[in-house]
Amino acid sequence: MTAERFFDAHQRATIEAAMARIIPTDDLPGAREAGSIDFLDRYLAGIGSIYARPDGSGFEVLAGKRAEAWQRRIDAIRARYVAGVVTLDRLSRASFGSEFALLETSQQDRILTEVERSEGGSTGSGEGQDGDAPPLQQTKAEIDLGFFGLLCLHTRQGFYADPIYGGNRDRVGWQTIGFPGPTSLAEVHSGRYSTLAWFAESQPEHDAGAGDEA
Amino acid sequence: MKPKPNPPKVAVCIIGAGASGAAAAKVLTERGIDVVALEKGPWRTRETFGGDELANINRYNLWPDPLLNPRTVRTSPDEEPTVDLFCPVPQMVGGGTVHWQGWLPRFTENDFRMRTVVGDLPGATLADWPISYADLEPYYSKVEWAFGVSGQAGANGFEGPRSRDYPCPPMPVSRYAEKFHLGCRELGWNSFQTPQAALSRPFNGRPATVISAFAQQHGDPTGTRSSALNVFVPDALRTGHYDLRPDSYVREIAVDGRGRARGAVYADADGDLVEQQAEVIILACGAVESARLLLLSRSGRFPNGLANGSDLVGRNVTFHEYSAAVGVFDDPIYAWAGGGYVSASSFQFYEHDESRGHASGGHIAAAGVGIPLPINWSLPGRPAWGPEAKRIDRDYFNHSMAVAMVIHDMPQHENRVDLDERVTDAWGLPVARITLKPHLNDLAQGRFLIDRNAEILEAAGATGIQKVYIDRVTGNCSHQHGTTRMGDDPTSSVLDRWCRAHEVDNLYVVDGGPFPTATGANPTLSIMANAWRVAEHIADGRGAS
Repeated sequence: MTAERFFDAHQRATIEAAMARIIPTDDLPGAREAGSIDFLDRYLAGIGSIYARPDGSGFEVLAGKRAEAWQRRIDAIRARYVAGVVTLDRLSRASFGSEFALLETSQQDRILTEVERSEGGSTGSGEGQDGDAPPLQQTKAEIDLGFFGLLCLHTRQGFYADPIYGGNRDRVGWQTIGFPGPTSLAEVHSGRYSTLAWFAESQPEHDAGAGDEA
Repeated sequence: MKPKPNPPKVAVCIIGAGASGAAAAKVLTERGIDVVALEKGPWRTRETFGGDELANINRYNLWPDPLLNPRTVRTSPDEEPTVDLFCPVPQMVGGGTVHWQGWLPRFTENDFRMRTVVGDLPGATLADWPISYADLEPYYSKVEWAFGVSGQAGANGFEGPRSRDYPCPPMPVSRYAEKFHLGCRELGWNSFQTPQAALSRPFNGRPATVISAFAQQHGDPTGTRSSALNVFVPDALRTGHYDLRPDSYVREIAVDGRGRARGAVYADADGDLVEQQAEVIILACGAVESARLLLLSRSGRFPNGLANGSDLVGRNVTFHEYSAAVGVFDDPIYAWAGGGYVSASSFQFYEHDESRGHASGGHIAAAGVGIPLPINWSLPGRPAWGPEAKRIDRDYFNHSMAVAMVIHDMPQHENRVDLDERVTDAWGLPVARITLKPHLNDLAQGRFLIDRNAEILEAAGATGIQKVYIDRVTGNCSHQHGTTRMGDDPTSSVLDRWCRAHEVDNLYVVDGGPFPTATGANPTLSIMANAWRVAEHIADGRGAS
């Protein structure tokens, strides 16, 4: 497992506590139960688990410019998390006299709100977005996000991404929102996965006429 | 070390193997003409695609990586451009069709004469096309039948005359399409199943398309969708005349002493710089990248870029812009079924209507909200975190949908693609810089259409309806046109009606660049039909000589 870790114990505990406020546990599982922290820690460990092989048999080995770009991105994101943990603790000590991970959840929420505002985000923005709302159909470039934007994005990804990436443990993220999803990447890759059962109940009849004319 | 020898000269060299390049290649090679295709990106096969939202939507598995292929954008020349993944399209064999849903409506007859229909719109450079719907109609049919498009002839009440039915009946009706039809029916508006690049039944030796949740913005591991990668590339390869070279990045089109295009100078898969000479060169890189390549190709004869004596290369660029009204229903919609885009459409507000107070209109259609999969789904106004964010995910993920549209944005002289002065790509070449300000007509038209979209949702019984108006153009639907306008007058266009450069008689552009106006519809069917038309013309010309 050590090869799949980036954070030290304190960083890990701090980010895990923050993630538990981003997607809190209520009557249904939250980021803690889904293992969002495992997802993130593995992501930041290197470039060995960026892309799952589409049949689910492991991960792609990146090379060339693609590998360089991902290493640059991971390095930049690591630095933001390291600084982010320091910021969380500094603000926590200033306001409540203790490091972030040891605060009450309501105190943690106040610290997170402060960090979010300092990045120019408002609680009205979409997921992973610092500042103005995203145009539909687009995601913001990950490398443009600040610490809080990354925290929200990765908590969400760790909750909802395919379990092969280390989060969404036992598919609890998908169950929480009612996404049946494929049983595995292999099910999609092999062509066995279909969503027709979730289409409209009544379908128009069409003539079966010959469609093989070129 | 000896420099690597250049490959032998070929009849036709096509830069790009996406929708337009592969369509042209199919037509030319099936006429027995040797074609070399130089594709910047990799040649990925279906085994490399999968149902992985994180990789495909969030981690640039198919999208260009902005660290390698950035663009810059600004709203005016006075402004410092910022790096932005503006209007990206996958750069690989198959291009955008690798990960599209493939909505394939035809343009209408009036789309080809927008200047005549609308008249003079201040600030806009509207132009009639040098070709008509009737000129393109046979090629619409050819593409629809070669490709296998599922749709219903006559269902779109605003479509021009067609010579042939669709080869396959419409796709099955999703729940979001059903809501759209219901809303339109209540309002008395025409609606139809969106014609799609997918097979509703086996066709031409190919099995019916697998309807997955991982569709729009995902590659197709089953190989059953209709795409340039799955249809035109194999068609061209089958002829034995198609030499497709992936990982081949063209840096410049070289010219000979007479100012004709001599060859494409490119870094091959080993990174070695060679020149592929050809009798005819066809650019098919997409409207942004084709303009960029022309502007990169400077010479004594063409100091401002190849075929750019008019200073029109890159100008009049249009991008559409995608937005929507969204709403929620008590009953589940399951908008991820079919990936959120096995849809229904309306052209009710597509045609120009003077009484609306703005020019033209656009295609409206049902869709999931954004990418309706767990990571990337959201509703406008949803908080970024906390209990309320989680509640919204839980309550609305399966119950929300969009009625979406693209604007028919107006061409403007000052809206352009040129070369950035500071930012280079990972290969050291200046990137495309977009200078773009929406025309007031674009914003007014967007508001009008989104208001209609909200009415459809309301008539279908939705609640919590939100309108996401457009206040800027972000390039969010990957459509791009206009950078190499075609026209009969060399002072107001880059290409002639056969998409041949006015200034370079063996150079063609066949992507969206030649389109003088954006139209309000998804462009790729028309891009492929036009590429087919041009390729046939080139083949005819060679036969005659």
